[in-house]
Amino acid sequence: MEALAQEKIEKLLRGEVKYTSSNLALNMLISKMQKRLQSDPQSMEACIKEMDEFMSKYPIVAKVDLANIVAL
Amino acid sequence: MLITLEDTIRLIEEGKILHIAADDSLLEKLPKGKWIGGTTPYFMSEEGGIFTKDRLFVNEIDYAEDIRISTYGKYNIFQIVEECYDNGLTMLIMPYGSEVAAKYSKEAPEVEELLMHPTIGWIAGADLEAMGSIKVYDGTTCNSYTDKAVVMYIKIPGGKSAMINMVNIFTDDKTDPIIRFNDNDLSVTDCVVNGQKVNFAEYIEKKGIDTKMPLVADYNGSYINTSIKSVENGTVGFYAPVFRNIDYRFATKVDDYSGQFKERIAAMEAKDPVFSCNCILNYMYGNLNGQKIPPFTGPVTFGEVAYQLINQTLVYCEIIG
Repeated sequence: MEALAQEKIEKLLRGEVKYTSSNLALNMLISKMQKRLQSDPQSMEACIKEMDEFMSKYPIVAKVDLANIVAL
Repeated sequence: MLITLEDTIRLIEEGKILHIAADDSLLEKLPKGKWIGGTTPYFMSEEGGIFTKDRLFVNEIDYAEDIRISTYGKYNIFQIVEECYDNGLTMLIMPYGSEVAAKYSKEAPEVEELLMHPTIGWIAGADLEAMGSIKVYDGTTCNSYTDKAVVMYIKIPGGKSAMINMVNIFTDDKTDPIIRFNDNDLSVTDCVVNGQKVNFAEYIEKKGIDTKMPLVADYNGSYINTSIKSVENGTVGFYAPVFRNIDYRFATKVDDYSGQFKERIAAMEAKDPVFSCNCILNYMYGNLNGQKIPPFTGPVTFGEVAYQLINQTLVYCEIIG
């Protein structure tokens, strides 16, 4: 994942910026990662990895979301 | 499409890959083939909502590159995340009230990798006036089950993806009290409202809450409903579990249920859903009998699966790319 995208996703997962996708699975994943981070602040690396796996697995679905997140 | 028994048999005999929903009296007459099925006599058809035990709702899965069909019990249901196609769609049907459905509903949100695999499905039911057989069918054997989930793994061609979404008319008022629960459960006595432990049944009664309105939880802007099944003897039962560490509020009152439903659908970008199912509570509370909600047709169900079990929601799948 590119550095800028990772930086924005970290902000998203910490709740510093907000982005709602039209993709239900992505919203569920963001919500899950945010809760994981709240209970374990050291888990950012694992959360980013899971977000990256999701984005990489479904590039057709995720490319618009990734562009929107980077633009936040 | 809602079709006759004869037409359904013809499609099976032609080797078509099918998802079938119908009353048990029809499903039990079907021959072996590449199909899965579940019981319900309620449907959203092209002509509108309908109750019928004379026709079957059939989705032809003509977008599949390949399929596999399996059945699972409560001990191995989550093998679905290991056995699915890498680029696919997992379609599952579970019987209402079964242990496998309870297990799935309570644990799915915490299953690693589930969100990586598009998973859609529904809970089979029966005529509400005369509760008959609630079953799911594996068409490859024609075996039926009351205690197992039947799953069709659909391989999607490269360059395409399955995308699951939902139509939910409910939202919350962020100024309403936050309700939390201590465990993942299908029934509760106590909850915590704005930090104070209270009896949930008493809270509902005292506040005069309309239990046709579900609890809603905000998953990063996607609202997930949990519907109230019963409030009796100090206990509140749900059609899907509530989860610990999730903030709930009661949905804001909807005055024109069916109007709101149509409005939400009109705002959706869904063009060509390959599958959809809609909750029996939407059908009943929204008086959808006889009403059309294009482009959505499919079984009316006793719980919907969009990765996890949800309620009072229409879920659908599109193939994109």
